[in-house]
Amino acid sequence: MSESLSPVYDPVAGQYFQAAAEGRLVVQHCNSCDALRWPPLPGCPECRSRDTTWVDVVPTGTIWSFVVYHRAFSAALKDQIPYTVAMVQLDVGPYLLGRLVNGERLPAVGDRVDAEFLDLDGVATIRWRIA
Amino acid sequence: MPNPIAGKIAIVGLGHTVQGELPGQSVEEIAVDAAINAVEDSGLRFGDLDGLIACKSVQGNGNDVTVGQLLGLNLPYVQSLDYGTCNFSLHLAVAAISAGLCKTVLLTYGANARSGKFDFGKPMYGADMASSAGLVHIAGRAGLALQRHKAVYGTTDKQFGMLAVGQRQWAQKNPNAIFRTPLSMDDYLAEKYMVEPLRRSDVTMISDGGVAFVVTTAERAADLPRKPVFVSGIAEHAGVRGEHNPENLMRPWLEDAAQAIWANTGLGPEDIDALYIQDPTALWTLQMLEYYGFCGLGEGGPFLAEGHTLPGGKLPLNTHGGQLSESYTWGWMHLVEAIRQLRGEAGERQLDAPETAMYLSSHGFVKAAASILSTNASVGS
Repeated sequence: MSESLSPVYDPVAGQYFQAAAEGRLVVQHCNSCDALRWPPLPGCPECRSRDTTWVDVVPTGTIWSFVVYHRAFSAALKDQIPYTVAMVQLDVGPYLLGRLVNGERLPAVGDRVDAEFLDLDGVATIRWRIA
Repeated sequence: MPNPIAGKIAIVGLGHTVQGELPGQSVEEIAVDAAINAVEDSGLRFGDLDGLIACKSVQGNGNDVTVGQLLGLNLPYVQSLDYGTCNFSLHLAVAAISAGLCKTVLLTYGANARSGKFDFGKPMYGADMASSAGLVHIAGRAGLALQRHKAVYGTTDKQFGMLAVGQRQWAQKNPNAIFRTPLSMDDYLAEKYMVEPLRRSDVTMISDGGVAFVVTTAERAADLPRKPVFVSGIAEHAGVRGEHNPENLMRPWLEDAAQAIWANTGLGPEDIDALYIQDPTALWTLQMLEYYGFCGLGEGGPFLAEGHTLPGGKLPLNTHGGQLSESYTWGWMHLVEAIRQLRGEAGERQLDAPETAMYLSSHGFVKAAASILSTNASVGS
């Protein structure tokens, strides 16, 4: 995927992409109130502390919802349609967006998923697979 | 809760440009053309204004400074808003007039997103984790919320399609509407998905156009030629925690705005003669019908299927065709239509003497606004 759609070099979000390139799923952990957060932010919206570490989490969860793009709204996405984006609630709490591989059947809200990681045009990204 | 504004402030002038394509014009020129029409409609002159609230276009142009230089006025109060939909502009005007900063305010909006080929697929605030996953364009988030609604409540395509089909029926009675070709339910269901579960007809068109209003005190309005449309009540609520709010895509904060406006005005859904809901996607309408209590939570599908919002139904909804069929204009034309209906100037689609209308809008997934308007100054007090 083109760099313009992925904040790979963002000082905060960039750390997610570095971990993904190593096959690890990480989210931010607030060292003050223990909240896990996604998407990445420079501070904690629960307690306003900026004392943060990134922690590895088990990459499993449940589909909260999904959409299937039949139109590319960006030149970078033209070769990828149709593609599916799912919002998944991780078993550890936060909601994460990622691509979804449909597998042998259509996805449904409530399906269990595992994460795999792939290199999409040079960007390490998460892809959900129905468990 | 007290409602100190009911009946004290009125919309006395409205104006707009052609909605469609206005090639070669800046958003400021378009806003000023609308302003000229609004001031003329009000029976006032530009010299009578003492306030300007300019709403920036989706591209970010058209603020108080750039519109102000074309208007040529140094006024006591000028301000800019990032938030579209006009509800936020109207509320700021009410606040400014109530605080004594000004008495007669011009609200402006101009857009050239169509001629300017604005890229709605580009992330509005820069690349983020959503765009990285391929979730771009407003249809992505709206589609996620609709898919969830379908899964949790059993809403069907045919029920949801009543919004697009119904608004096209209204648009056929509106000479300003851009999409007037008949759209049957079979036509709708035969459309391919654009961002499944949304079809093309569930999502706004992109058009150029400007809108402006003149807002003033009830005392001043009494001396002006148009039937005043009073602001009976207003409410807002933020959802700016955004995705750090569980299930934010369902926009639960809309319900907070709903509770506030009903409590402030002492009114309820049964008091609304005509309803306007800003609709960049039809999902907005479904959510707001439910949260504002026009039907129960999760019951939007069956409610729509019963046909209440169609011409002749008990809850006339977006009688101009809305953003799905009339024009884009970030919801500003919804307020134009509400005022036309209340004044009795809506031509072929005129309702039977409506007294009170409501306009509901939101700024994407971060902020809600609601206004109740009436030709009866005592409504909401």
